[in-house]
This record gives sequence, structure tokens and C-alpha cells, in this order.
Amino acid sequence: MFYTRHILMAVTAAFILAATSASVLAKDTPAAQEETAKLIAVLKSDSPKAEKAITCKRLAIYGGKDAVGELAKLLPDEQLSSWTRIALEAIPGPEADAALRDAMQKLNGRVLIGVINSVGVRRDAKAVDQLGVLLKNSDAGVASAAALALGRIGNAPARTILEQSLPTAPPAVRTTVAEGCILSAERLLADGKHDEAVKLYDKVRKADVSKQRIIEATRGAILASRSAGVPLLVEQLQSADKAMFNIALMTARELAGSEATEALVSLLSKATPKRRALLIVALAERDDPTVLPTMLKAAQSGPKAVRIAALGMIPRVGNVSCVDTLLEAALDADADLATAAKASLEKLPGKAVDADLAARVSQAKGKTRCVLIELAGLRRIDATSELLKAADDPDVQIRAAALTALGATVGPDNLSFLIDRVVAPKQTEDTPSAQRALRAACIRMPDREVCATKLIVAMQSSDVPTKCLMLEILGNVGGKKALSAVGAAAKGTDKQLQDTATRMLGKWVTVDAAPVLLNLAKTLPDGKFKIRAMRGYIRIIRQSKLPTNQKLAMCRKAMQAVQRDEEKKLVLEVLNQVAK
Amino acid sequence: MSNRTSALTRRRFLKTAAGASAVLAIPQFIPGAALGKDKVVPPSERIVLGGIGIGNRGTYDLSCFLPQPDVQFVAVCDVKAARRAAVKKIADQKYGNQDCKTYRDFRDLLARDDIDAVLIATGPNWHATAAMYAARAGKDMYCEKPCTKNIAQSLALAATMRRTGRVFQAGTQRRNLPHFAFACELARTGRLGKLKRVHAHPCGMKTFSSGWATPEPEPPKEVVDWDTYLGPAAWRPFNKKHLDGFNFEKGGGLVGGGVLEWGSHCVDLCQWAADADSTAPIEYNPPENGRIVARYEDGVELVLRDDGWLPLGSCPVRFEGEEGWVEAGDCGKLALSSPTLLAGQKVAEIGGYPATFHVRDFLDCVKTRSQPLANAEAACHSHIACHAANIATFLGRKLAYDHKKNEFIGDAEANRLRSEALREPWRI
Repeated sequence: MFYTRHILMAVTAAFILAATSASVLAKDTPAAQEETAKLIAVLKSDSPKAEKAITCKRLAIYGGKDAVGELAKLLPDEQLSSWTRIALEAIPGPEADAALRDAMQKLNGRVLIGVINSVGVRRDAKAVDQLGVLLKNSDAGVASAAALALGRIGNAPARTILEQSLPTAPPAVRTTVAEGCILSAERLLADGKHDEAVKLYDKVRKADVSKQRIIEATRGAILASRSAGVPLLVEQLQSADKAMFNIALMTARELAGSEATEALVSLLSKATPKRRALLIVALAERDDPTVLPTMLKAAQSGPKAVRIAALGMIPRVGNVSCVDTLLEAALDADADLATAAKASLEKLPGKAVDADLAARVSQAKGKTRCVLIELAGLRRIDATSELLKAADDPDVQIRAAALTALGATVGPDNLSFLIDRVVAPKQTEDTPSAQRALRAACIRMPDREVCATKLIVAMQSSDVPTKCLMLEILGNVGGKKALSAVGAAAKGTDKQLQDTATRMLGKWVTVDAAPVLLNLAKTLPDGKFKIRAMRGYIRIIRQSKLPTNQKLAMCRKAMQAVQRDEEKKLVLEVLNQVAK
Repeated sequence: MSNRTSALTRRRFLKTAAGASAVLAIPQFIPGAALGKDKVVPPSERIVLGGIGIGNRGTYDLSCFLPQPDVQFVAVCDVKAARRAAVKKIADQKYGNQDCKTYRDFRDLLARDDIDAVLIATGPNWHATAAMYAARAGKDMYCEKPCTKNIAQSLALAATMRRTGRVFQAGTQRRNLPHFAFACELARTGRLGKLKRVHAHPCGMKTFSSGWATPEPEPPKEVVDWDTYLGPAAWRPFNKKHLDGFNFEKGGGLVGGGVLEWGSHCVDLCQWAADADSTAPIEYNPPENGRIVARYEDGVELVLRDDGWLPLGSCPVRFEGEEGWVEAGDCGKLALSSPTLLAGQKVAEIGGYPATFHVRDFLDCVKTRSQPLANAEAACHSHIACHAANIATFLGRKLAYDHKKNEFIGDAEANRLRSEALREPWRI
């Protein structure tokens, strides 16, 4: 019972720590020192382990050298060792280092591994000799931890020990010795000692260690060698070993310099189509503009996978000079190539590309014209006059492409053109394209009230299916006028229009639809439209970010209007949510 | 999956060219060239996948991996026997065999040479440590978020992925959803004008402690391996309430509140929007009036707030420039200061934050060795931002962070909170 109570106190203490103690102990005040002394006293006492554990966490933030002695006493305790290392690893100063070194001499097994790990994190140079001894420990876990710690320390004595151990360490330890060497090499690199780093990487590459260590050392050796690393990069890119090829593919993106670019380009002709495609991607991701001719050539002919890869990567390095090649590929009989080329043309950056494509529309014929019109829409190129002409082209595919492009580009001034094509189509086969275009255009109109007005006027002379379409578009456009028009249709007598209008109101995004929906829920005759209105009203309460009191008032109104148990349950669910 | 979603599975979203503002996609390699006669990827071309810690979220992630034609899931590791059995059943049903192997110790799974990549969905206590073990074993990985428990782990994660040459994708799948990506693109490419402020939803700013709960009888190791479950977390006795994985030792158990849980998504998107994937804010203020305000070196503010969002669903973000703003949330829709920001573009609305595209991005990068959108470098810095905001909250004072030295300036206590010792024998 006593134990449980203290555990609860300890857990509670952790929560209180999160909330308050930071401000209490934030400064080096007498009060803070007194508080720290209390924490140390907990460690000295016979308090339950739970309490001591949480105390360690607090000392990790606020403890100083005074706490080290008591913390170190907990290191042999398998249950508290990790807690006390949280503090000892964090407390600055030589006292904590000394305590950990001392523990390395006395402990064994898992707790020793933990202490060695902490020594490594603290990069205690004075521990190198001890770690050298532990590297020969019969426990592979201990020896491996020592190897890692030496690698983290990474000074000259630690490197020497690791290099000497690399060929002789037992297999279970050698892989971590290799990791220690790689960490040491990184430290050499950080100090600008590239040649020494390369030598160390090479030793690991040639050692009998796991494949992954060799991969890491190979990458390190290439990058540390800089331009002199290109032959090793090329060698790996030609390796039959997939793992070595893969690391080279990644390293190819990291190694700077024109020599690497040139080497990659020269490899293309020797690689299999699959590898060539991968090299193309890596080459483009070097962001070296000199590769553009290579990319264009690869896009023009050759194995399909390579062409698709090149087409996909051209926007990354390309410019307006690529339009001819891409356009030709966009007209290819192979649908995959054509799709890849069109996607590339859509993404190719630059206003010059827009101007080039726009200039070509008027001259082009047949399939080329169709593709160019499509691209005008995809790139949102302002080519309205050409597109308006194309919308009357004798070719149905060009008309469809033009209407789609107009949907993506037309401004408020020409919205009426699309409305007319929906209300009074010149060719009935164009109707689906015109309807899609009008929908797309209306959603992006800058002034939705003006847009809604045009649609509402057009509705007056439309047949019922077209009116339904207009109501759907109005629902997507939103705004006061749209809401008013859709609300009126929902109250009308035509069932088809009511159906569409209540459906649109049921998913209206803004809160201003709430009173309209409530009114419909109260006044419509029983049936699905009434239910839809009620549910739409409840949905708005649930989804909106209104103040709680407003939501509660709306719930009250809903409960007054609601008739069926199903909707009552929904209101109660919302109330529950509001209460939370 | 909706038709719209299905139609988009072949499309790669919005990959940023390094050093360029262009928004690009790398070509897909899997379909077409690698597909066999019956649209089946030959075994030699498949990515052999294992799963580590596959509970609720992991099972969802797995449901995004399994339909991919170039994935072969062969092994599951979990400390819970029930989960091992459940995932094996899913995999075996999918392939019509009994081949999915089960493991209690993930090191045994990682030792298999035939496994190319792993899905790590353990719980935040294990994410970083398991990811680094996987990298050192030569596996690529899709790792759930929050990926790290503290700043030191964030830096070590990025360094380990670089050193080992592994492909790492953080489970921040919103980067691969079109409306979030578009919103970030608007901010990053200057279409909102000079960027002033990015807003993230932290979903609460409380700090939690996993603590040391009342001991309960420990189940047999074969049923629940408590020691492995604790893994790198400091020891404590078995208690069922710790077993949820989701909150256990999040952020190291003291300073990992909502800012880390939700921020690894929302702050991550803000980082992308601010074109800050290789850095993070340099100044962090403690919460004031329900706001944590941080500041990037270029003056852009990162605001974490729970209230005042448009009704666009969970995980909202908002980006404000001198000429416009955009807000996006999990419903899949965008709210814009002006429709002209769309410039005629139709942005696919995919609600419900599916991970399918994010998984596809990862798999493509495993093949091409490109960097996925939520790569280790990006994840490192977005997590640093979250951890630093949490430390400022915990200490209750303003902090300045030096990204070159990776330390708080003149604040010893904050610096001590950058890392935490791992329980033996685990290490990063």
C-alpha cells in the first residue's frame, strides 16, 4: 500500500514537473539550489524506485556535479541504470565523465553496455584506453559498444585502436568496429582531412565486414575523394551487384563537379536500358544544365523505359529549346510516350515556353493543334481568342479540347461564351465538354456574385436538366446570390430541381446556409427533402467553428424542428461533441 | 478508394526540384517497363517488404502497400503475439499462402538478406531507434511519425540515412496530397507574395509524462515482450496502460505533447511552405494566449494555434503572404484569399488523408534512389521545430536556436533537453 502510494506520488510528480517546476528551477537561485538538494536527498533516501526514477529525469535538466555521486550509485541497478544515465549523460563537467569511467571498470553485461554508450555520447577522450580494453571483452555486446564509443570519440588514439582491431576483431564485433571507423572518417572529413578519411574508408572497404558497411565506406570514399572519386563511382555504377549500383546511384547525386557529370553521361551508352533509365534520373537530379542535350537525345529514340525517364526529367533541366522534341513525342503513336511527353510539356518551366506554345496554336493542324490546345489549358496560357475560334472548329476533338482549355483559362468577360454553349449548344455532341468547362470556369471566377448572377439569368431560359446543372454549379460557387437561388429552387414545386437544390444545400460549406436549411426542414412536406435539409443543418452545427453558445442555440432550434428519432440522435451526438 | 483517388495512383505529386521553384514529378518506373505479360511484376522486380510494430496505424499503412503490384510483404515483427498473428493472416490471405514469417525481435527480421525495405509503425518510442537499426542493416524504410523523441535523434536520423545511403520516408503523408502540396507550392513559389506567416494546428500544447505506473503481472514474453516494448525507454514495470504505443514516451516522455504529435504533420507542411526543409525556426516563444509563435531567420513566423481555423477538417495549415493566403485541411479542400490563386488550375480534392500516394512515392524512390518528399532531412528539421517549441513550452521561456551548432543559445537547461540517454543495450 505504501509502495503504491509513493508510486502514484512519483507519477504525479512527473506531471507536476511538466507543468510547474521548469519555472521554479529555471534560474540558479538559492531556491533552485535548495530544490536540487531535495532531489539529491530523494536519491539518498529509501524512497521507492519509481520516485528515484522520476528524480533522475529532473536532475537531467537541473542537476550539477553535486548530484553525480548519488546518481552513479544507481548505475549497477538494472531497473534504475537507464534512468540515472539520463541524468549522467546530460550533466556537464568532468565529474560525470569520471563517474561513468569508474563504472566501466566495475560493471558488466547490459548495464555496462549502457554506460559505454553514454561515454560515447559524451565523447570522453579520457576513456579511450579503457574502451580499447573493453573492445577485447568476450561479451560481443560490450566489445561492440566500445567500438562504437571509440568511433564517436574519433580522435587519433581512438582511430588507431579501431584500425588495428578491424582485421582481428571477432566477426560479431567487426561490423561495429567498421562503423566506428566510418564515424571516425566523418570526423576527419569535418576537420578537412580528406586524404586521411579516404584511407580509413578504403580500409573498411577492403575489410571482411558486412555488405552494408562496405556500401557506407564506398560512398564515403567517393565523396571524400571529390573529383578523384569519379573512377570509383564509375566502377560501382558498372557493378553487377545491385546494392553497389544503388549506393553509387545515390552518391552520383551528391558528388559535385563536371567530371562526375561527364562520367555519368559516358556510362549511358554502356548501361542496360533499365540502368540507363535510372542513370537518367540521377543525372537530372544533379541539376547540371549541361546534361540537357543528353536528356533530349535520350527522349528522342531508344528503349521506351529510357525515353519515358528522359521525358519525365526534362522539366528539371530543360527550357524552351525542348519544345520541339517534346511536342514530337507528344504526338507519338505509343500512348505511354505521348502521355509522358505531354506531362513534361505541362511542367516545362518558363514564360518563353508559354509564348512558344501559344504562337504555334494558330498555325497547327490536326492532332498537333489538338495537343497544343490541350497544353494551353493545362498550362493556363492566355490564348482565349485562338481557343474561341477553335471551339467552332469542324473537328469535334479540337472543339472538345478548346472547350476544356477555355474552362481552365477563360476570364469573367468570356464566361458567357461557355454559358451559351451549355444553354444553347451549337453541336449537341459538345454539350458534355461545355458543361465540364463551365463548371471548371465558374469555380475559379474572382467575383462569385457576378458569376452567380450570370448563371441565374441563364437559368431562366434553360430546360430542367440544364437548370439542375446550373444549381450544382451555383452550389460549388457559393455566395449570397447562389444560396438564395438554390434555396428558392429547394422550396419550389419541381421535384427534380428540389432534389438537386436540397442536395447542394445539404453539403453547403458556409454557415449562412444554416437558416435556409432550418427553414426548409420546418416548411417542406415530409419526405427525403425535408430529412436532407434537417441533416444539412445538423452537419453545419457539427462542422462549423462557431462559438459554443451559438452551437447550443442551433441545437435547441434543431431539436424543436426535428421529427424523427434518427435526426434527434444526430443532434444529441453534436451536443455531446459541443460539451467536450 | 474513390474513382478519383484511384485515378491518381499513377500520378506523382509535386516533387520539388532542389534549388528550383519548379514543381516536378520524377517518372514512374514500375508500371509499363517492369510489368510482365499479365500486368504482374516479376518477383525479381518486386520490393520485398517487412513490417515492424504493425498495430492499428501500421495495418492501415500496410493496406496501402499490399495493393502495389511491385510489393511483396514477407515478414512481420511485433512484441505482441496477437498482432503478429493478425498481420500474418492479412498477408497470407493476400498471397494465398502461409509464407509470411513472424518475429518478436526486429533484429532477426532485419538480418534477412531478402528484405529490401521495412514499414516501421511501432509507436514513437521506437521509431527513430528502429529506423536507424534498419538503415544500418541496409533496409530502406517508411517510418511512422513522430519519427524522433528529441533533437539529437532528429539529427542522428538524418545523418544515419545519409551515411548508410538508405531511402527514408516519414509517415507524413499529407506532403503527397494534392491540396496540401498545392497550398505549400503557393507559399513557396511566391504566389502569395512575400511570405509572412505560416500557421499549424498543434492539437493541444500539453506535455505528457509516461511516468512509472503501478506494477501489474507481466505477461509471458511470447504474448507480450515487455522488455522489447520498452526498448530504448527507461525501465519501468509492466502496466497495460503503457501498452498503447501511441503515446508511450512520445517526445521522450516529458516534452512531447500535441505539438509533436500533430506538428509532425502540420509544422512539417509549414516547413515545406516556408521552403525550410533544411532548417527550422531560430526563435521559439512559450505559449501566450493559446499561441506558440516561432520565427525563421528570414522573419517568417510559424504560429501554432488550436483555434480560429476554417472548417476544413483536421490537421489544418494556413499560409499568409503579403498578397494572399491559403488554408487547407483534411477535408481535401482549399480556402483561398482569391480564386485567381488557382490560376485556372484544378486541384484534386482528396479528403481523408490517405497514405497511398505517399507509399507510392516511397516505393518509386526505393527504385530510383531519389529522395522522397518526406525524406530524412526534411523530417529532421520539422521534428526539430516541434521539439524546440515543446522545450520552450516546458521551460516557459523564449529560446533562440543556432542551426549551425544545433544548440540553444545561452540556455543550458534547454540544451540538456535536446537528447536523452537510451536504455541499454539500445543505441542510435
